[in-house]
Amino acid sequence: MKRILRFATGLLLIFSLATGCSTADTPKQASADPGGNQVSPAADQQVTLRFFHRWPRDPDKTYFEQVVKAFEQENPNIKIETEAVLNDAYKEKISVLLGTDNPPDIYFSWSGEYAYKFVRGGKALDLTSYAQEDKAWHDQLMESQLVPFTLDNKLYGVPLTIDGKTFFYNKDIFAKLNLAVPTTWSEFLSTLQTLKDNGYTPITFGNKAPWASSHYIGTLNQRMVDENTREKDYNRATGTFEDPGYVEALKKMQELIPYFNKDVNGLDHEFARQMFIDQKAAIFYAETAEVRLVEPKTKFPWGFLDFPAIEGGKGNPKFLTGAPEGFMISATTKHPKEAVKFLQFLTSKAQAEKFVKDVGKYSAVKGAVNANTATPLGIEAVERVTAAEGLALWLDTDLDIKIVDAYLAGTQQMLNGEKSPEEIMQDVRKAAQQVREQSK
Amino acid sequence: MFARQRSRCGNSPSNKVSAQKARQWSPERLHCLFIHLGGNDMLQRKYAGYLYVLPGFLLILLFIYFPIVQNIQFSLFEWSAFSADKTFVGLAQYAKLFHDPIFYQALVNNIYYAVISLIFQVFGGLVLAAVLEDKVFRKISPLFRTIYFTPVIISITVIALLFDFIYHPQVGLLNGFLSAIGLESWTRAWVGDSATAIFAAIAVSQWQSIGYIMMLFIVAIQKIPQELYEAAEIDGASKIRMFFHVTVPQVREMTFVTSTITLAGAFTVFNEVYILTGGGPGHASEVLGTYLYQSAFVHDQMGYASTIANVILAITLLISLVQMKLSKTGEE
Repeated sequence: MKRILRFATGLLLIFSLATGCSTADTPKQASADPGGNQVSPAADQQVTLRFFHRWPRDPDKTYFEQVVKAFEQENPNIKIETEAVLNDAYKEKISVLLGTDNPPDIYFSWSGEYAYKFVRGGKALDLTSYAQEDKAWHDQLMESQLVPFTLDNKLYGVPLTIDGKTFFYNKDIFAKLNLAVPTTWSEFLSTLQTLKDNGYTPITFGNKAPWASSHYIGTLNQRMVDENTREKDYNRATGTFEDPGYVEALKKMQELIPYFNKDVNGLDHEFARQMFIDQKAAIFYAETAEVRLVEPKTKFPWGFLDFPAIEGGKGNPKFLTGAPEGFMISATTKHPKEAVKFLQFLTSKAQAEKFVKDVGKYSAVKGAVNANTATPLGIEAVERVTAAEGLALWLDTDLDIKIVDAYLAGTQQMLNGEKSPEEIMQDVRKAAQQVREQSK
Repeated sequence: MFARQRSRCGNSPSNKVSAQKARQWSPERLHCLFIHLGGNDMLQRKYAGYLYVLPGFLLILLFIYFPIVQNIQFSLFEWSAFSADKTFVGLAQYAKLFHDPIFYQALVNNIYYAVISLIFQVFGGLVLAAVLEDKVFRKISPLFRTIYFTPVIISITVIALLFDFIYHPQVGLLNGFLSAIGLESWTRAWVGDSATAIFAAIAVSQWQSIGYIMMLFIVAIQKIPQELYEAAEIDGASKIRMFFHVTVPQVREMTFVTSTITLAGAFTVFNEVYILTGGGPGHASEVLGTYLYQSAFVHDQMGYASTIANVILAITLLISLVQMKLSKTGEE
C-alpha cells in the first residue's frame, strides 16, 4: 500500500514537472531569444523577429516559409523565426503569449472586436505613422478592409485576406427543378421547400463547432436590425440587445431548421462542405475563402447566391457578412521598423499575387486577384466582397466573447429544439450587461 | 544505523587512506558531512534525516503546494491573461460561481461521471479481474488481460478521435450498426444531442480505464492466500459466494485505492469531453474541467478559472478525506 502511495506521489511529481515544463516552454524560448539579440547587434546589427501565425498546414505553410526566405534574402540583417498553430489553439495561445514579457513581434489577428481587445490591452503597435510615411503601400490596400483594424482613427493591423459569406448553390439541381435564384426571404423559403419536396437536402449545415451558426446569426442580425442600433449594441460599452429585431433574426434562423440536414450539432463544417461537393445537398453557406476547397473537387456547375433580402428587415440588404484577417505588431517589440518592413513586403503587389495563386485565398491588396492568379469564380467572389456596401463582421470575432458564447451555446440548443429565440436573447442581454459593467 | 556509519567518519590520523577516500564525493562522505554539520550527537541524528528528505520536500513545495497557494490568491482577483493589472474582488468570483447555472450543470455531469465510473470501472473491473483469475480461465487469461489493458496505453486524444468516428451521426459505426440490426429508431447524433452527449463521453472513459482498474485488482487478487478459496470450496460455497465473501473483503484496500483514483479522475476529466463534444451542445456536456478551460483560455477570465480550479481541488480533497475516513486505512 505504502509503495503504491509512494509510487503515486512519484508519478504526481513527475507529471507536475512535465506539465510545468511544457507550459513554461514557450515563454522560456521567448526570454532566451532577445538575450541572443542583445549580444549580436554589436557584430552586424542582426535583428531577429518572431512571427506567429495560424497556418501550420499547406499550402499556407509553404507560402509563408517562402515569403520569409525571400524577405531574409533581401534583408540579410533580419532573421525571422516563424511559429504556427491551428485556429482554435491559436486563439488560446496568442492570448497567453501576449501576456508574457516577450510576445511575438508580428502576430496574426482576426479583425473587429478580436483585434480591438488586443489594442485595449496595449498589445498592438499603432501603425498610423508608418502608413502615412509609406503612402503608396497604404493606398494599394483596400480601404474597406482597413476599417476593421482601425480603432479611434488609428490603424493597428494590416489586412492580409478578404473574405465574405455567401451561399454556394448547385446549378445542376436548380436547373433540374427549374428553380430561379431567390432574392427575397419568402422566395428563398419556397425554393427550399421545393428542394425538400423533391428529395434533396436543401441546405447543408454542420454546427458541431458552433462558430458555424454565428455566421447565420451575424448576417440575420445585420438584415433585421437597423445599422445604428446594431452598432450601438455591438459596442462593448453600450450594448443592450433590447431591439426586437434580434429575436426576429433568431426566428428567421429557426425557420431554416426544417431545411437543414439532420444532426446539425453532430456534424462539423467540413462534413457539411463535403455533402455539397458530393451533391447530397443543394445549398451551402460558405466563406469565399472556401472556393479553393470546393472548386477543384466539384464535378458540377455551381455559383453564388446572395443572402436574400428579408421583408421587414431594417438593415441594408447590400451588406455582406465577412471580415479581413491580418497581422498586428506587438506594442513592445524592440524592432518596430523591421516588423513593419516585413508586413509591407508581405502585402506588396508581387507577394499578394503569389499568395492568391499559391494559397488560393483572396488578398486585401488591390488588383492582386486577377485572371492570372484566380479562377473566374474566385474573381466573382472578390467582386462580391468589394461591391458590398458594407461589411458585417463575423459575429464570433466582432462581439465580446461572453456575448458570443451566450449566442452560440443558445443556438446549438435552439437547433436541437431545446431553447427559444426569446430565451437565447435573455442570456445574451445578461452577458451584454456583464460586458458593459466590465468595460466601465 | 547512523551510529554505525558515524564510526567511519572519525578523522583519526591513523586512518589516512579512508580519509582520502572520504574526500571524494561518496554517499558515505555526504553522510559524514551532514553529521559534522549537526555537531551534537542527538541533533545529528535528528537533522541528518531531515536533510535527506529536503530535496524532495522542496520539489513538492515548489511544484505542488506553491501553485496551489498561488491559485487561491489568483481566484481573489479579476484579471486577463494579456493585461498586467489585476483587480482585487475578494470572494466575488466564488459568489458568482455558486450562482452560475453552467457550474451546476458541469457539476451534475461530473457526478454522473463519478457514479457511472464507480459502477463500471471499480465494480466492473473487479468482476473482470475475478473472472480472469478464476481457475477455469487460467489458460486464456493472459490474452484477455492484454486485450483489456491495451486501451490504457493508447493516448486519450487518439481514443477520443477514434470515438468521434464511431459516434458520427451519418457515417459512424454506432449508427451504422444500429441500422444494420434494425434498430434504426435508436440512431441519433450521439455527441450532438443534449441528452446523450455527456454519456457518450462517459462511455469512452469506461472503455479506456476499465483495463487499468482490472489490472490493479488482478494484482490484489493474486495476493489472496489460496487456502481461503480452498476452505470455502470445502464448505461448499458457490463461485458467486466466494467472490462476495472471499475476494471482495480481501481486496478492500485495493478497492479504496481504485475508487479514489476513479473518483478523482471523474472530477478532473477533460480530454474526452473536450475533444468529443467541446462541452456542447450548448453547455449540455460541460464538465468542471472543460468549463475551467473555457473560462481561462476562451473567455479570458483567469480569476474565474482559478476559482473553478479551487472548487475542483476542494471536491477531490473532500472525496479522498471521506474515503480515507470510511476505510480507516492508509496504514498498509
